[in-house]
Amino acid sequence: MGATFRLAWRNLWRNPRRTALTMCAIAFGAVLLIFSIGLQLGQYDMMIGSNVRIYQGLLQIQHLGYLTDPKIRSSIPNILALTQQVRDRTGLKNISARANGFALVSSAKRTYATAVVGVESAHEQRVSTLPGLVKQGRFFSADNANEVVIGAALAKNLQVALGDELTLLGSARDGAVAAAVLPVVGIFESGNVDLDRSMIQIPIATFQDVFDMEGHGHSIVIFEEDFKKAALFKSQVIQALGTQAELVVLTWDQLQPGLKEMIDLDYSAGWFMYIVLVAIITFSILNTFLMSVLERTREFGIMLALGYKPFNIGRLVMLEALILTLFALAIGIAIGVAINAYFYHYGLTFQGMEEMAKIYNLPASIKPQMSVNAILSGPALILAFTSIAALYPAMRIRLLSPVEAMRKI
Amino acid sequence: MHAVVSCKNVKKVYKQGAIEVIALADADLTVDEGDFVCLSGPSGSGKTTLLNIIGGLDTPTAGEIIVADNRLHTMSKSQLAEMRLHHIGFVFQAYNLIPVLTALENVEMVMQMQGVAKHERAQRARQVLKEVGLEGLENRKPPELSGGQQQRVAVARAIVSNPKLVLADEPTANLDSKTAENLIDLMRHMNTEHGVTFVISTHDPRVMHHAKRNLSMVDGRIVA
Amino acid sequence: MNKGYTLVAALAWRNLWRNPRRTTVILFAIVLGAWAMIVMAAYARGMSKQVFDNAIDNLTGHIQIHAPGYLEDPVIDYAFDSAQTTLKTALSDPEIAQFSPRVRVPAVVASERESQGVTLLGIDPVTEAKMSFLRKSIVAGNFFVSARDPGVIIGKKLAERLETALGRRVVIMTQDAHSKIADRGFRVVGIFDAMMDAQETGFAFISLGAARQMLNLENRVSEIAIKLHDPAHTDATLERLKLQLPALDVRAWYKLDMLAKLFQDTWEGSTFVWHLIVFLAMGFGIVNTILMAVFERTREFGLFQALGLKPGFILLQVWLEALLLLIIGLAIGNLVAWLSVLATGDGIDVSAFGQGLEMAKLSKVIPFVLTARDLLIANAVVLILGLLTCLYPAWRAARLVPAHAITRI
Repeated sequence: MGATFRLAWRNLWRNPRRTALTMCAIAFGAVLLIFSIGLQLGQYDMMIGSNVRIYQGLLQIQHLGYLTDPKIRSSIPNILALTQQVRDRTGLKNISARANGFALVSSAKRTYATAVVGVESAHEQRVSTLPGLVKQGRFFSADNANEVVIGAALAKNLQVALGDELTLLGSARDGAVAAAVLPVVGIFESGNVDLDRSMIQIPIATFQDVFDMEGHGHSIVIFEEDFKKAALFKSQVIQALGTQAELVVLTWDQLQPGLKEMIDLDYSAGWFMYIVLVAIITFSILNTFLMSVLERTREFGIMLALGYKPFNIGRLVMLEALILTLFALAIGIAIGVAINAYFYHYGLTFQGMEEMAKIYNLPASIKPQMSVNAILSGPALILAFTSIAALYPAMRIRLLSPVEAMRKI
Repeated sequence: MHAVVSCKNVKKVYKQGAIEVIALADADLTVDEGDFVCLSGPSGSGKTTLLNIIGGLDTPTAGEIIVADNRLHTMSKSQLAEMRLHHIGFVFQAYNLIPVLTALENVEMVMQMQGVAKHERAQRARQVLKEVGLEGLENRKPPELSGGQQQRVAVARAIVSNPKLVLADEPTANLDSKTAENLIDLMRHMNTEHGVTFVISTHDPRVMHHAKRNLSMVDGRIVA
Repeated sequence: MNKGYTLVAALAWRNLWRNPRRTTVILFAIVLGAWAMIVMAAYARGMSKQVFDNAIDNLTGHIQIHAPGYLEDPVIDYAFDSAQTTLKTALSDPEIAQFSPRVRVPAVVASERESQGVTLLGIDPVTEAKMSFLRKSIVAGNFFVSARDPGVIIGKKLAERLETALGRRVVIMTQDAHSKIADRGFRVVGIFDAMMDAQETGFAFISLGAARQMLNLENRVSEIAIKLHDPAHTDATLERLKLQLPALDVRAWYKLDMLAKLFQDTWEGSTFVWHLIVFLAMGFGIVNTILMAVFERTREFGLFQALGLKPGFILLQVWLEALLLLIIGLAIGNLVAWLSVLATGDGIDVSAFGQGLEMAKLSKVIPFVLTARDLLIANAVVLILGLLTCLYPAWRAARLVPAHAITRI
């Protein structure tokens, strides 16, 4: 093998320009794929991360059917006790209960219809970044406090400031009128105007009181930083719940199928482009592989005459292609990783991203993902394609007859 | 008689890495119009280099060369090309035809570049091909012709535009003796009938036998 | 050198087919590249057009007129008189195909069982029918029969969520022009099925007359949506309207739906980057192939020079060979791309990515849109860059020293 390898290596450098150009093509492909895939995956991480972090959580326990049809009556009984039970049994700390309703919210001058969310005052900041985004005032003092926290955009539209009172008018769980008058104690500002306008928060016990919930709530939100382990946490939570036929545990992608599907669509389109690109690169270099065999027909004839088997020569040709590809891929991976590491460190911003970031509630720069998958899946695709390309000229050697081959120039 | 070629103290030195190889050392040569000169000598004696320099394919390191009243050593690349196009024909050892063109097109090519009208050049090319004995093979491409036939096409191409001088570098080296004999007869015929001047490098005694003048080269010098 | 062009052309063409396998392989690369460029451009153009059409159709129109302040705070306070003469004069602009006055306020729709926050639109049935998706999306019941129709039209999803149906009554609550809560019962006269869920759940439509009466608006409206004969004239028309209506806020669709505009810009930019990347991928192969062709013909180029042909002739010959290669590749590539776009018919069905499309503002079928401009750009990129890169092998061929070239075997 050592001798074959040495022969293959020397053969590669018989035509340094051609080999270099071919390597450039492969390395270029590898760099491009590593950069794009890293960026794509990094962007998805960011989108998922921000969505999970800001409000939704990684997992939610809900009443069966609540997700598709969020009615106030499809609720979880004894939600606070159940939440405590899940906390105790799983050992997970970032768990908080919520209740969701809907009300007409009026200030002295204005009326808006918004969602009303009841949250656990002591736990909400563990599952959502919104409590930390309270820019004026504070978050809740207790679960039964008569207080309301609203978004900055809604505060502007309702023309209210800290301390002003809001009147809530909605329908309670039993269909009766739910009404309350609560002072604004905090105003949050997430940067996303839609989010800041669409929801107000009140403490959960107050919510249960106003909306006549009788201890019920709508979701138990669980947050963990590592969203790739969602399935693992899910099984822990299911175990902790015990037999609760009416309840379901949903992961982030089930909670927001739109986000998952948008990512899938984008990723599919991305891979379509990558495969086309690699196919083009493969055709580009197939000629090099072919030529390096065809121009050595005479030489192969001599080798055959000396007693080499076509298989040995085929292996030599394959080995040459493999060495060339791997060498070029190594260079490509080195450059690609260096580029991605740079942007991982400093972040990457491009035109229009800031606006996009605001609308989708994202940070204004992307960090490429630096995982084995992100780095190696592109080069692996190239290796697969070039190996197939190298097979063709190697197969052709079987057709050679030594006498005819030697007669060629 | 008027001299077609006149070389004085022509010197050519190649650099191969750090080593200097002297290919021509003060070569002097005069060829008159209508001459049929044979240059012989062992490999590496400088025959090919001298022909290349006379043909303006290569430039001398020192010395002066006058071909058909052109002072080659003072001319630009493009002037040299122009000179070759109009005044010099080449015949090479390895035929050197354009493989994608037919015999007729190969012969026509030079006239086409000279701007000869289509009708006229086709007529002349056919006539010359007939003269070299290739009538009926005009539309074959070089790979479909034998070595001798290819070399005849090369001769036809070299003489078709009535050059002042035809340079032939080992024209018979790849041919069997009968074919070689025919080719020499052909070139000699062109020389006597049309007055074409030939300078041929060779170590084929049959060629030398036909020459009007035999010169031999040793170590980059013309010795006799 | 005005002679010998036919010779150069004949040589280039025949040389191209001297090694048919090699030429075919590189043609595959060029065809695939051209195909990928054109199809991706058509896909991006299709998405871009769809986002645009959806945005225009989704109540946006090409241009909208509001009272200043409305867009930041979309409530009834910012209404304007739609009967004023300056406005009527401005709206008689010949570029305007259709305009539709609307009342547009936040409201709550409540059934006996559920309530939901929506955007309430009071519309003129005659003008709105030609303006937005509504008229053609009604699947049950009927559209408003008069400008004072007392019914309400809601989306299918909203009807499900409210557990109501055609013919049943719902109550609509909102704030009127005197900052008082106005509530009134409406019978559901029509149900629409829109492309996007958000359209189905986010809106409730009543007649303009009913809205004005309920909200005490008299002759005032919240907005006027405008459709133009030719969307390309949006900016010019916008400027004229702005001049004539200095007291009102006149904006083009791209200022109203910035995300749609952003998507369009991003696609435009990324299509061009894609072209360059694809070209690079095949560029290596083209250069390598032409270089190979040049080096194996070294002797011939030497011969041309020996025969008195100038280096320019050789450069031209190689260049022409590259040009022919590119033209053939492009011609087939264009044809295949055109056929594959034809084969997709209305477009590709991406409904598997359901809700993700909604986030990306797309419909379930993305059409391929081939435009002359996109075709031109793709072909120009290949041709211009291809010829530029092939200058290198052509220059190499022309630079060969005749004496060396000819003696090399």
